[in-house]
Amino acid sequence: MNSKHNNKSQDQNTERLKEIPKWTRKYAQNRTLTILVLMAMAMLFSMFVAVLVGFPLGLAAIGFWKGNMVLGCVGIAVLVAILIVLVISISKFISKFGGKNRGLIDQLIEQRIYGKEGTASMPLPKITKKMRGLDYLLGAICLIYMLGVNSLCMMGYVAFKYLQPLLALYIVPAFVFEYFLLRPKVGPVVLICPILYTIHAILILAGVPIFFTGNLGILNMPVPLIGYSFLAYVIGHLYSRYALKKLKCLAHPEGDTADGD
Amino acid sequence: MEIDKIIHEPARLRIMMILSGVDEADFNFLLSTLGLTNGNLSRHIEKLELAGYVKISKTFRGKLPNTSYQLTKKGSKALTGYWENLNVIRRTGRV
Repeated sequence: MNSKHNNKSQDQNTERLKEIPKWTRKYAQNRTLTILVLMAMAMLFSMFVAVLVGFPLGLAAIGFWKGNMVLGCVGIAVLVAILIVLVISISKFISKFGGKNRGLIDQLIEQRIYGKEGTASMPLPKITKKMRGLDYLLGAICLIYMLGVNSLCMMGYVAFKYLQPLLALYIVPAFVFEYFLLRPKVGPVVLICPILYTIHAILILAGVPIFFTGNLGILNMPVPLIGYSFLAYVIGHLYSRYALKKLKCLAHPEGDTADGD
Repeated sequence: MEIDKIIHEPARLRIMMILSGVDEADFNFLLSTLGLTNGNLSRHIEKLELAGYVKISKTFRGKLPNTSYQLTKKGSKALTGYWENLNVIRRTGRV
């Protein structure tokens, strides 16, 4: 009886130990906090540049429209100065964090965020030159497709209401392709974005009014894409916390000897 | 049927199970996950490295040094063999 109980207990312990690789993998695949920080930094920087460039541009436009040449020229001069400063700053940034230092900013952010927790990472996928070339080509096509659909909407050939569903036709398969390209480095949680994007498109076509209209129509492009990407990465981060908690439960050894024998 | 004593030690078994799930993990991750002391973890990893089961890489992340560990092919095989042997022993009760 005692032996049976011991065997059952040993089997349970073995099963617990065999779960360790699974939860370690789930943790490593869903460490998305660095991406979230980079996304937030990119959005804040874009908004900052938009305001910095928009203000003197608006000033110049108003000046020329009202016939105030002084104001118009001042606006242009300020805009040119700002653009020069921006170009110099961005060049310095690229020289520090680009080229052979690519990935350095990710490492620095990761160090700051994860710190004492340390790092566990999945292997980078083996991507052939052909696949990489195809990836770049699909990216270029995606950009052209997005600009094309956007232009059709702005010129009035397509209602802004259909901007997101039309973009979904290319973006969703592109996202799924990227996932299969990047496995096992990333986990399936990134598929939340294309899934939600598809649901969003279907709901619009079904008549649900979840789209921007009028002057805000252009937001139908970036808002769902950035929003659902952000949501997917937040869910990934929360899942990685859960996975780490499970892993620590499984991985704490009992009765370990002090001298490591 | 012999149980690999290097792997059988509870902390080392857990180190190898963690490393078998990922490509690499660094010292801080193993330390925080396993709940061992610095010295204890270092000694266990040293034994695994001497047995050829774990490969150590020392790099820099930015300006900070970083030590990371990977399971070797030998280590992966040894771990698989360890579980197979353990299953046989449990089934037959023979060592």
